[in-house]
Amino acid sequence: MFAYFIRRVLATIPVVLMVALFVFSLLYLAPGDPAAIIAGDQATPDDVERIRSSLGLDRPFLVRFIEWLWNVVRGDLGVSIFTNLPVSHMIAQRIEPTLSLMCLTLFISLSLAIPMGVIAAWKHGTLIDRAVMMVAVFGFSTPVFVVGYLLAYIFALQLDWLPVQGFTSISQGLWPFLRNLLLPSIALGLIFMALIARITRATMLDVLSQDYVRTAKAKGVEQKTILFVHALKNAAVPIVTIVGIGFAALIGGAVVTESVFAIPGLGRLTVDAILRRDYPVIQGVVLLFSFNYVLVNLAVDLLYTVFDPRIRY
Amino acid sequence: MRRREFLRTTAGAAGLLTAPYVARAADARILRFVPQANLANLDPVWTTQYVVRNGALLIWDMLYGVDDKLEPRPQMVEGHEVSPDFRTWTFRLRPNLKFHDGEPVRSRDAVASIERWMARDSTMGLVIKKQLESLDVVDDRTFRFRLSAPYPKMLFALGKSSTPCLFVMPERIAKTDPFKQISEYVGSGPMRFNKNEWVPGSGAIFERFAGYEPRAEKANWLAGGKRINFDRIEWKILPDAATASGALQNGEVDWWEQPLPDLVPQLKKTAGVSVDIADPLGNIGSFRINHLHPPFNDVRARRAVQLALSQADYMRAVVGDDESLWKEVPGFFTPGTPLYTEQGGEPLKGERKYEAAKKLLAEAGYKGEPIVLLVATDVAITKAQGDVTADLLKKIGMNVRYTALDWGTVGQRRAKKEPPGEGGWNIFHTWHAGADCVNPAPYIALNASGGTAWFGWPKSDAVQSKIEAWYGAADLAAEKKVAGDLNQAAMDDVVYIPTGFFKGYQAWRNNVSGIVKAPFPVFWDVSKT
Amino acid sequence: MSASTIPGGDYTAAPELPNVLPEPKKRGKVMGFVYGHPTIVIGGTVVALMVLIAIFAPFLFTKDPTALAPARRTRAPSELYWFGTDMLGRDVYSRVLYGARVSLTVGFSVAFFAAIIGTAIGLVAGFMRRVDTVVMRVMDGLMSIPGILLAIALMALTRASMKNVIIAITITEFPRVCRLVRGVVLSLREQPYVEAAIASGTRTPVIIWKHILPNTLAPLMVQATFICASAMIAEATLSFLGAGTPPIIPSWGNIMAEGRALWQVKPYIVFFPAIFLSITVLAVNMLGDGLRDALDPRLAKRL
Repeated sequence: MFAYFIRRVLATIPVVLMVALFVFSLLYLAPGDPAAIIAGDQATPDDVERIRSSLGLDRPFLVRFIEWLWNVVRGDLGVSIFTNLPVSHMIAQRIEPTLSLMCLTLFISLSLAIPMGVIAAWKHGTLIDRAVMMVAVFGFSTPVFVVGYLLAYIFALQLDWLPVQGFTSISQGLWPFLRNLLLPSIALGLIFMALIARITRATMLDVLSQDYVRTAKAKGVEQKTILFVHALKNAAVPIVTIVGIGFAALIGGAVVTESVFAIPGLGRLTVDAILRRDYPVIQGVVLLFSFNYVLVNLAVDLLYTVFDPRIRY
Repeated sequence: MRRREFLRTTAGAAGLLTAPYVARAADARILRFVPQANLANLDPVWTTQYVVRNGALLIWDMLYGVDDKLEPRPQMVEGHEVSPDFRTWTFRLRPNLKFHDGEPVRSRDAVASIERWMARDSTMGLVIKKQLESLDVVDDRTFRFRLSAPYPKMLFALGKSSTPCLFVMPERIAKTDPFKQISEYVGSGPMRFNKNEWVPGSGAIFERFAGYEPRAEKANWLAGGKRINFDRIEWKILPDAATASGALQNGEVDWWEQPLPDLVPQLKKTAGVSVDIADPLGNIGSFRINHLHPPFNDVRARRAVQLALSQADYMRAVVGDDESLWKEVPGFFTPGTPLYTEQGGEPLKGERKYEAAKKLLAEAGYKGEPIVLLVATDVAITKAQGDVTADLLKKIGMNVRYTALDWGTVGQRRAKKEPPGEGGWNIFHTWHAGADCVNPAPYIALNASGGTAWFGWPKSDAVQSKIEAWYGAADLAAEKKVAGDLNQAAMDDVVYIPTGFFKGYQAWRNNVSGIVKAPFPVFWDVSKT
Repeated sequence: MSASTIPGGDYTAAPELPNVLPEPKKRGKVMGFVYGHPTIVIGGTVVALMVLIAIFAPFLFTKDPTALAPARRTRAPSELYWFGTDMLGRDVYSRVLYGARVSLTVGFSVAFFAAIIGTAIGLVAGFMRRVDTVVMRVMDGLMSIPGILLAIALMALTRASMKNVIIAITITEFPRVCRLVRGVVLSLREQPYVEAAIASGTRTPVIIWKHILPNTLAPLMVQATFICASAMIAEATLSFLGAGTPPIIPSWGNIMAEGRALWQVKPYIVFFPAIFLSITVLAVNMLGDGLRDALDPRLAKRL
């Protein structure tokens, strides 16, 4: 099994490399000049040219790429063109909000969606089932920013229960932390909830029709036990898969959520960097995302063995 | 009824839970400020963004500072001597000036800072640099300029509030290549920058500098004693206006530098929030034309647009229905300042003349070639102007190619002199701070020297000769007369088309007092209860 | 990398869910279909309605959706302006109706192109083992960048235009199709009749045409429907973030992006396009659900 994971990790290197090259060339080809943004409205074309060359933006593509790659290998992600801060520092500053947002979103959506899916499967074909599925489809169909603004309007501005914006570190206390994150997590979690509720329902239906569940039923095992112990455990593999796949989507959603709720996370960092052409930052963040994707999938693989002892590597 | 009561109780309970948070926000020693834009870097010489200048005003002190008459007053300087021919300027620094690292401010710091600034300030610094024979350290508190030609406007240059300003940095920092960014933010201003807590795109923290000794006189804009009543000034970056407005209404922030005018009526209704004009000098919107390529290389085509352009449309699109915020300006100078004139502004006044415009266009030989309009869609003011322009050009029968870009790309594209079809452009929009349009010296958008002029490269000998004449004008009456002729010439040749004069609001919580109207946020003498 | 390693089945490939709806009861032909597949009927009707709105927008009492009237800006909904006017005085009703064109064009085009490209690459990957590894690695790479970020980066690369929006979203969506088709191909190749066809020397294109494609069609249609829905949301999101359809074109995302600063004071500017977008996406999703439920049993039997 250990050897398998080593192989898996090694196999991801070309993926990450390819992503790096892809993003780098994409940005190289992109129009828009960070030097012009820096120089500002009153600058002369001459100034812009000098700033560009001082940033090293006038050197050939391959030189810059190889240099960047070499630095990355040595653990140096470079320095932001705009802030003059190390990219790793900027990423580190913003990991906590994004990670918090994602964890809370995962927590909320899993703890709501799984029971929803189980109940829908149990009450299969009834009004409850349809209602759950309706909610799920609805969650799927409403853009995150619409939900976000709606929630902020009701709970922050009209009722004044929760703040409109911002992020408070968990080190400031649990409640201030939750206050700020609750609305964004719910907004972001809706899609995820829909996804998980559907897959839970579907796999539960599948499992419930299996022989061993029928046997358990016939033996008079309690309904709850059947649902949450026997059936759910077997439905766990596809659920975990969806959670893993959904992770990339979650990062995408976080971009929008962070900008609606003014959360200083990685998503906003990336969008701002793309719009300003802050190349080192974009490259660093995208690299981080692809590593993250690889890691999550490894974790998912590990979880399989926990949930399904039949699986061995 | 009952249900309502229940709701109210729940809300009250939730309110109780939030009490500690509110108590913290009420801390009178912390000011939470929402700036106009993200503070992405902090080198006020390297970049000319206003938001950087505004942050820098807290960290670095200046030799001279302007008051609300835009007159330079001594700030770090104790006094100066000038030779009768205005060619030798000697300055003496105040005693006891200290940098945040504890080092005293010496004249060599000032000299290094002046040298870095001169290299980057294209309006005044470069002029001095060209005439500079020497800039010497006389002793630790004294330095001296020797010029090859008289430069009577020296104090205006050293105290200019338009970017880049002359901030005094320690020599080791000021020695940085002016085209490279500094990475150490040590100044001698009233606040020091907390680099560790700086999260670009999210927030910046300034902490009180105990070693700062304010001047004795009362503060007036950038002049006088800069007394800070806070231990911390926290800048919160909220690019989304709706979010910022909500935060101010909820008391999560204390002061919002640039509220969206459309949200102001609601803010005015909100208990606990005050709203007022931010900057009496306002801004002038700009319809910038490329003079190098057809059809606008022909003055008749430029005049055609001038005849049809409705400043009211632009201003409503930019700032909204609130007519106290904007006015039509058939002139290039800032309304309400001495040189403002409407001489020659007739084409921009009265009914808009679409038919006459079409006729002029035809005379200029325009036959439906595409007009490349660069629109920076990420900047609200340029986006609104671009949308109006697209509509305007359509009305006078022009074939518009609306090119949606971000500001950075517009910045790159507008520098291209190639024909519009080959990566160049015909029109873009921006705006100029009213403080920069009070006279021809800082007003680079009015310069019409052709290839060396600002983007669009207008060439008009009439305009240039009037600008020369202004520099030589002996008194205000003479300046006014020249400004009138200059306005006329610039209108006739359509250097650019002003799209109107507009002001902005600022808004703050009622427990904050002492906020003044200025082209930049003035933090000194502001206090909070 | 992720899903393909799941033992016991490729969950992205044999997509979403197994058949769960009960077999339709036999009634009259039309009514029977309606009762058997309510989601298809409801979803289909709404989508058809939106298509009609998009096509006939000019005749539905609309004005020029781009005509400015700054003097009449931010008017509340009234008899004159059914959905009010935006901050440049444009008629929101007209903009929303014309906006249907953008959303539907982007949704349908992305679904179409993603299906075509994904199928082509998926077929190649499924049949040519050596290409397979490389292609799937590339797909993994593409999928490891969050779709919306990749799309923003692609939009930064090019000039804002509807064509570029379609291309950018297609690039983020087609790997899903590719995986699906490859999965179907791999499982079909194991089928006795396909093995027999290969053994008897039938040429690959013929096998693809006769055996593979017909069996791919059903899951492909379902997948394409979902892609259509997510492409519409992606377009709105891109426009909302200011990196999408050129602002001069009224799209639902653009209307919302322009109105978002005013949502506290003039909520209708955001409200109407949001409702239209949500309903349309909902309808497309329902259509997809219905199709899957209707198509799966036959698919299940054949596989």
